[in-house]
Amino acid sequence: MRLTPGALARAALLALLAVILQLSGVGPMRILGGHPELVPLAVGAVALYAGSVPGAAMGFCTGFLLDLAVGGTVGVSSLVLSAVGYGVGRYREVRDPAHGLMPIPVGAAATLGFLLAFAAVSFMLDVGAAVSPLVLRDMLVSTALNAILALPVFALCRRLLRPVLLVDPFERRRRRGPAREPGPLGLRGLEA
Amino acid sequence: MFDSKVVRRRRAALAIFVALSVALLTAYFGESGGGVLHTLQRGAQEAFAPLETGATRALKPFRDFFGWVGDTVDAKDENEELRSEVEELRKRLAENATGAEDAGQLRGLVKLQRSEGFPLGTEPVAARVIARSPTVWYSTVKIDKGRSDGLREDHPVIAAGGLAGKVTSVTGGTAEVTLITDASSAVSAQVMPSGASGIVKPEVGKPDDLLLDFVNRSRRVTEGTTVVTSGFTSQRVESRFPRGVPIGTVARVDLDEVELYQRVHVKPFADLQRLDIVQVLTEKGQPRATAGTVEGPP
Repeated sequence: MRLTPGALARAALLALLAVILQLSGVGPMRILGGHPELVPLAVGAVALYAGSVPGAAMGFCTGFLLDLAVGGTVGVSSLVLSAVGYGVGRYREVRDPAHGLMPIPVGAAATLGFLLAFAAVSFMLDVGAAVSPLVLRDMLVSTALNAILALPVFALCRRLLRPVLLVDPFERRRRRGPAREPGPLGLRGLEA
Repeated sequence: MFDSKVVRRRRAALAIFVALSVALLTAYFGESGGGVLHTLQRGAQEAFAPLETGATRALKPFRDFFGWVGDTVDAKDENEELRSEVEELRKRLAENATGAEDAGQLRGLVKLQRSEGFPLGTEPVAARVIARSPTVWYSTVKIDKGRSDGLREDHPVIAAGGLAGKVTSVTGGTAEVTLITDASSAVSAQVMPSGASGIVKPEVGKPDDLLLDFVNRSRRVTEGTTVVTSGFTSQRVESRFPRGVPIGTVARVDLDEVELYQRVHVKPFADLQRLDIVQVLTEKGQPRATAGTVEGPP
């Protein structure tokens, strides 16, 4: 990702949209005990398209914004989302994924990682109440919902980030397609 | 193949973000309510409020659609439950009317003053929920009324006739409400009519099942009875709620042979997962700032 004012503005807009829609849009929608989590999806998308360092930076900033907006303990979401962004970015850098359905497992893994890490940090900060095993069920439901939402959310993020990306992994896949036919045998070398 | 400089830079970036997050966490825990981060948080909440209100209104049809699907699935069971509840409540209403008559006469005989608890001493202010916490670990909602509407910290918040939480932070036009399902919540409560008292605490991940803990084993608690706020200050927790705010009904009682106390499961009256409109119980006769008033140093 090119570090230009335009790129920063696009990333900031994406973070703001994700936080506002999470708190006022999809957060209150309860489906089978869980709800969609837009924030880890947005961070995962940036990390997948832009790499580990932009992913971690996006995670930190979005987490900070989320903690400020929601009134929670400042630093918890930043810590967890930085790690999620870095992890997804490293996966992209090491494995170079290019399959069109890649956002589904990446989105699901980012969500599950976020929820588990958030639970772990909350435990470390001393939760003063009993914890029901149903928390695990809600985590799995949220992960499944995010797997469904991953394709459109990642596509939207890609559309927003595409002009400022150095390399688009999905663009490269198209270039790797079948080679051009050189034409009939007798005319080889004559095509323009 | 691996540029060591790139690898070092990448690792350094991650280390910086993690260190910054830990520093923020430490600073947030270390500072008081008036510290830099808390002030920044209040400012951000005030700034986000118009965006959140707009998003809430714009996306209401989608939320209603999902709510409608869930409601349709649950409607039949809920209808049967409500019918049996109406029958039970009719019986209790008749008993209560007789009891109130007797209590009035006895109060006159012993010259006992009537205390202005809930709902007599309170003035409800209706507010719309504009945002809610995205995780089960922090159960908070943000409402579109604030200091200018007479709201103050620790004011109780009710929804659908039951206790929902209390105001924990107020800005000019918004307030943050910590629900009774938040991991940090504890409410001193009493079971009516037996008078057994305890502390209502949540179980993270089960918003429809609160725990009334520290109820003495000798006090008999039966299913279906009502749990209300006790409004007193105990050694364990100071109640910020006026006496008599309904919390929920007793759903189940766990009697452990070893434990000194019995554990009472309470089903809250308020649907804490689907809060759209709430009421904040402000103090009666409390002066309110008018819309045009500007608050600032004298």
